[in-house]
Amino acid sequence: MRHFNSIVIGAGNAGLCAAAALQRGGSSTLLLERHNIPGGCATSFVRGEFEFEVALHQLSGLGTEDKPSIMRQVFGRLGVMDRVEFVEEHALYRMVVPGEFDIALPADWAQLKQTLQDAFPTESDAIQRFLDLCEMIAFEANVALHDGLKSNNEDFFRARCPHFVKYGFKSVKEVLDEYFQNPKLKSVLAVYWTYAGVPPSKMRFCDLASMLYAYAEFKPWHIKGGSQAMSTALMESFHEAGGEVHFNCGAEKIITKGGRVSGVRLETGEVVSCDAVVSNASPIATFHDLLDFDQPPLNIQEDFKSRRMGTSAFAIYLGLNCTPQALGITQASTFVQNTLNEDLIHGSMESMDAVHSALLTCYNLEDSDFAPLGKSNVTLLCLQYGDKWKDVPPEQYAQAKYECAEKLIVLMEQVFPGIRDHIEEVEVATPLTMMRYLNTPDGAIYGFQQSAQDSQLLRQRLDGVPGLYHAGAWTGVGGFQPTYMAGESTARAVLKQINTKEVKYA
Amino acid sequence: MPENNLLSAVNGYREACDIKLQLEESGSDFYELKGNVTKVISQLHPKRLSLTVTEVIEETVSTKTLRLASSRGAKLPPFQAGQYINLFVEIDGVHTARPYAISSSPSQRDYYDLTVKRLKGGFVSEYLLDQVKLGLNLISTGPMGTFYHSPLYHGDDLVFLAGGSGGAPARSILLDILNRGLPYNFHMIYVNSFADDVIYAQELRALQESFDNFFLTEVITRPSVDYVGYSGRLSHELLEGKLGRLDKKMFYVCGPTPFNENCLKLLTGLGVERQRIRVEVNGAPKAPNSQSGWPDGVALEDEVTVRVKGKGSFTVKVGEPLLNSLERNGYSTENACRSGECSLCRVKLLSGSVFNPQEARLRKSDRDFNWIYSCVAFPTEDVEIQL
Repeated sequence: MRHFNSIVIGAGNAGLCAAAALQRGGSSTLLLERHNIPGGCATSFVRGEFEFEVALHQLSGLGTEDKPSIMRQVFGRLGVMDRVEFVEEHALYRMVVPGEFDIALPADWAQLKQTLQDAFPTESDAIQRFLDLCEMIAFEANVALHDGLKSNNEDFFRARCPHFVKYGFKSVKEVLDEYFQNPKLKSVLAVYWTYAGVPPSKMRFCDLASMLYAYAEFKPWHIKGGSQAMSTALMESFHEAGGEVHFNCGAEKIITKGGRVSGVRLETGEVVSCDAVVSNASPIATFHDLLDFDQPPLNIQEDFKSRRMGTSAFAIYLGLNCTPQALGITQASTFVQNTLNEDLIHGSMESMDAVHSALLTCYNLEDSDFAPLGKSNVTLLCLQYGDKWKDVPPEQYAQAKYECAEKLIVLMEQVFPGIRDHIEEVEVATPLTMMRYLNTPDGAIYGFQQSAQDSQLLRQRLDGVPGLYHAGAWTGVGGFQPTYMAGESTARAVLKQINTKEVKYA
Repeated sequence: MPENNLLSAVNGYREACDIKLQLEESGSDFYELKGNVTKVISQLHPKRLSLTVTEVIEETVSTKTLRLASSRGAKLPPFQAGQYINLFVEIDGVHTARPYAISSSPSQRDYYDLTVKRLKGGFVSEYLLDQVKLGLNLISTGPMGTFYHSPLYHGDDLVFLAGGSGGAPARSILLDILNRGLPYNFHMIYVNSFADDVIYAQELRALQESFDNFFLTEVITRPSVDYVGYSGRLSHELLEGKLGRLDKKMFYVCGPTPFNENCLKLLTGLGVERQRIRVEVNGAPKAPNSQSGWPDGVALEDEVTVRVKGKGSFTVKVGEPLLNSLERNGYSTENACRSGECSLCRVKLLSGSVFNPQEARLRKSDRDFNWIYSCVAFPTEDVEIQL
C-alpha cells in the first residue's frame, strides 16, 4: 500500500495551496483531482480564439511592489511569485442604474473619496467619516482583532478595536442608514454585496468595509493567462517539490481506523494510507459522502444546522468581435442594476424568473493580451442560488439556460447597446455547471451563505475527526484571496500536527 | 461557539449568536444532500454511458446507423442537436475511441443514432461497420461539443453545408427544429461524392416536401453520366443562387477537412463574416507538416521515442498523433473530441518537444508550463511525458 504523509482531496485554490505548502514543508503529499486540470473555479477554457477566465474578477490582497499586501508573501512562500505575471487594474468599478445614475469609482483611496464627494456633495462629510470608518474597520477586523482577542483583557480589546466593538456585527444596511440619506449613494457603496450574494441587511459591514478598502487601497489585480495560470503555477511548484498528483481521479472514501483518518480509497479502487487528509471538497460532501462514518460527529451536525446554502452563479462568457471602447466599456468591472430595490434583487437571485443585477467584466480592457487584436473578452455574471435549477427537468435544461441568458443579455444591452451583434463565441454556465465542475452542493461557489452567522468568530473548527482537515470557502470566507490563504494556513496546521521533523517550508 | 467573552463587548454579537441558535433549531444537517451532486449531474453530464446496440440501419453502401439505447433501459441524457459522444472501443487488444455526432433528434431520449461511414483504412469505422452486432454493449462519454445552434445570437436563418457523414449533425439539428416547431429556416446543402451514397436521402427529400422551412440542395461531386441535378464542387454561383442574401444567415460546416476548408474559403470569399460560420472540428490534421511552425528537417515518417514517465517507452512515427500511439502501446488518458478542442487528453510534456497544430486549442498556461493535448500533438523529437 502506498503511503503519503498527507492526501489533499481537490485541486481548487485551497487544495492547491495546501498541497504546495505541505510538500514544500516536508510532508509527502498526494493531490487528487477529479478533473483533468487543476484549479476548480480558478480555471479557464478556450472557445475559438478566446481563452475565458471562469471565475476571477478582481484579485485582492496583492498590493503594489511599493506597497505590498499579504498575498505577495503567501505566493512567495508557495514558490509562485516568479511563475506568474500580475496585471494591475486602475478602476474599482463603474455602477450603472439606467435612468438613475452612472458612476465610475477609481481604485485609489483618496480619489475614491473625491469622486464620491463630487457626485454626492450634500453628503460630503458623511462620506469622509464613512470611508475613515471603513479604513479603521478593515485594519481592526483583519489585524488588530487577533491580538485584541488573544489578550483576554476587555479594556485592551476595547482600546485596540474601538470601531470593531461598535460596528463588528452590524449589517451593511445598518451602517449605511446611519451615515447616509441618499439611496443612490448607499447603493453605490453597497454594490459589492451583489458579488457576495448576501443582501445588505444580512451582510456584515466588516466584510464590505474590508473589500472596499482592500480593493481601493491595494488595487484590484489580474493574472496574465487568468487564474488558470496561477493554478498551473501552484501545481508546478507542488510538482517541483516532489508532490504527486492524480488527475481524472476523485477520492471515493476517506477511511478511518478507530475514529482517526488512516487513508483514502481512490476512484480507481486503490487504497492509499496517510496521516492526514485535507479536504478541499465541501464539508457536506466530506462528511456525508466521503467519510466512512454512518453520520457526522455531533458537533459537525450542529454546525451544519446553523448554516444555510450559499449562492451559486450564472455566467455568460462572450468573445466579441469589437474593442471594449467600441461598446462603451470604460472600466474592467461594471455593475448594472435595473432597480435600487435590494430585496427585489436578492429575491431574483433565489428564483429564475428575472435578472435585476449583473456584473460585466472586460478582461482585455487593462490587459490587451486577454483577447485577439480588435476583439473583446467579456463575462456577464449574476449570482443565483442553485436549488431551483435542480428542479428543471433534464430535457428542459438547455432552454432554461438560454432563457436566463437572454434576460441577462437584455439587462446588459441597456448599458451596452448592440453587444449581442458582436458575439463571436458564447458559452453559458448555470449553477448546475458550477455543480458539475466544482462538485459542490447546489453549485455553491463561496461555500455556505456568508451571513454574519457564517463568520468564523461564531464558529469552531470542524475538528470532529482527528487527521481530517478542511480548506476552502466552506470553512472560511469565499473568494480567491481567502481560499488561497485558507489552503496555506490549513497546511501549517497539518504540518504542526503530523510533521515532527518539520522544515520551514518557505 | 468559541467561549471568548471578549466578543460579548461587540455590538450586535449577542443578537448574531441568537440568530445562529434560531438557524440551528430550524436548519438541516444537509443529510438530504448526500449523493445529490452526483445524482443531479449524472442526468445531464454523465462521465460514461453504458449503451446497447438495439438496431443497425443500413443507410447506403458505405454507411450504417447504429441505434444505441441505455443498457440500463433508462432515458439517455439530453443533448443539444449537433453534439457528439465519444465511443470507446477495443479492437485487437487496442483500447481507443472516436467521437461521433448524434444524428437522431434530441426530442426523444430512448436512443442515440450514430451514423458511421466507412473510411478507407479507418481503424474504428471498419470495426463498427463490420463487427458490431445487435445487442453489443458499448461505453461512451456523455454528449459533448460546441457545434450547435445558439439561440442567443445565431438567429433564425440557418444554412448547413454538409459533406458526406457531416450530414449526421445536420440531421439532428433539422429534426430538432421540425420536432419543436422552431421558427427557423434551415437550408441544407448536402455534398456527396456519389448519387447512390447519399445518407438519409429519402428521408430528407420527404421532409423537404412536408415542411416549408426546410430547404435541401443536393450536390454530387462525382456524378454518373446520366445524373440530373447539381454536380461538381461548391461554387460562389451555386451558393449565391440558392441562398440569396447571406448577411443575416448563420452557417454550419461539417464534413471532411478539405471540404470544411473549402467551404470556409467560399463563404468568406462571399463576404460572410467569420463569426457567422461555425465549422465542426474533425480530428487531428493529416498533414501537420504543412502548417506554419513545423520544424525544419523533420519528416512525418521520422521515428522518435516516446517515454512515459515511470511506465515505459516506445518508438513512433512523427506523423502519428500522440494519443493514438499511446493507445496502440497500451497506455491511455481521458479523451473525448480527439480534435484538440475539449482538452481532456491534456498531458504534461516533461522533455523534448511536440508540434502543436492550429487545431490544438491550448490555454496560455498550458503553453507556458508545457501541457499538451495529446490527441493533436506530434512528437517531433524524443519526448518524455507524464500520464
